[in-house]
Amino acid sequence: MEITEQPADDGITEGLKIVSYSLNSKGEYELVPGLGWQPVNVVNHQAWQEIEKKIASSREQVTAGRVSCLHYYMTANQMDIGLLARYTGQSRWLVRLHLVPFVFSRLRPDTLKKYADLFQVLPDDLVRGELKTPIYQHS
Amino acid sequence: MDASPLTDFSHRQSAHCESGVAANLLNHKGIPISEAMAFGIGAGLFFGYLPFIRINGLPLVTYRAAAGHILKQIAKIPGINMYQKKFRDQNQAMAELDAALEASIPVGLQTGVFWLPYFPRALRFHFNAHNLVVYGKQGDDYLISDPVFPEPVLCPAADLVRARFASGALAPRGKMYYLTKAPEVLDRRVLIILGIKSVCRMMLGSPFPLIGVRGIRFLAGRLAQWPSRLGRERAGLHLGHVVRMQEEIGTGGGGFRFMYAAFLQESAEELQDQYLRDCASSLTAAGDSWREFAARAARVCKDRARPGETYAAMAEQIRECAALEENVFRKLEHWVKRCP
Repeated sequence: MEITEQPADDGITEGLKIVSYSLNSKGEYELVPGLGWQPVNVVNHQAWQEIEKKIASSREQVTAGRVSCLHYYMTANQMDIGLLARYTGQSRWLVRLHLVPFVFSRLRPDTLKKYADLFQVLPDDLVRGELKTPIYQHS
Repeated sequence: MDASPLTDFSHRQSAHCESGVAANLLNHKGIPISEAMAFGIGAGLFFGYLPFIRINGLPLVTYRAAAGHILKQIAKIPGINMYQKKFRDQNQAMAELDAALEASIPVGLQTGVFWLPYFPRALRFHFNAHNLVVYGKQGDDYLISDPVFPEPVLCPAADLVRARFASGALAPRGKMYYLTKAPEVLDRRVLIILGIKSVCRMMLGSPFPLIGVRGIRFLAGRLAQWPSRLGRERAGLHLGHVVRMQEEIGTGGGGFRFMYAAFLQESAEELQDQYLRDCASSLTAAGDSWREFAARAARVCKDRARPGETYAAMAEQIRECAALEENVFRKLEHWVKRCP
């Protein structure tokens, strides 16, 4: 890859200049700052579209009352049942159970607090079933 | 507990986190070394296609050695001592970090990217093997030299605890490390030869068909079947994933091939060896071939494929990468054998 092939696209790095190895005119490698490469932005965009699709479908399921709002927070923070179980120190089947609205609405305050701390929201938000933004979108 | 920042820690931006941290820590100990050199000596190059390990439901494709491999190799160098510790208790982990900072020691940490607030949002995935160096504390914020960032950054203590105790695959469990002893000078010649030898063995000599050059060919075979086996949409996701692993931040582009070529070039300079310089150019050609594949794959993902850009054609492109790499590593293997 030569330096001249460096793209000028803002991409997904939000203006973060990353460095990569490129050949200069003498054929020697140099670390050159850039904003990422167009094809990378395409595939990253594709990955995010997939995640957003999942989040949207989870949102629908929560509003329809088929799953508890925990499902939304799990999906929005790109976790699955296994990872959520690890983070909260519970077994997977327990977490699976908590995805059922009937069970979730009867959770003890200390269990709710575990989830609230993990997702950086208030226990009250969980009780009221508010769908707040995922952690990586907090400013 | 207010450690002042170590002003003498020089932050250098690098293309890959682990080799960047290794190089920055060695530099701090008075051994001038470039990132590419640390990558090569640490034998960081690799290829593996491991479909039984899933990332978000997609098969693992890796272009570099397992996380922690480079640091492990560096720690093994005679004369270098590295202190390493994992923790159960979060408070103890932070207390030990603070104690080291108080003693003016820059500390390497393994962290989960998802919890680092200074990362661009779109890159905050659950990836738990990101390395960085903490070198000071200002109030409740830690001063961090994150090798993929141009400047040092600040991170609140609460977030750093979460990042150090991220769960899931490759959980860091608070891992911290720093160099306690480093030799005056490194015997580069020996280290370069050993590093190249180790990479040749991984790329050519693996008995498993999923690893090294054989793994690249295996991926090519699988990739050709994706549209018929998975359907168009899933095949597109798989393809995008392969490219993402190859070109993601931290690869230096071309799935680490350019970074390794830079290492070969530097070694050629160091040892005054034209043969290595030729190998570097051959590897650059392999990297360019990977890039060509990425560009095509991106067009296919976007439904803007040019005529003839099919999965079969892309598999052929990957086979060409395999052929080019096999050629390079055979040459390097030969070179290693010639070296006493």
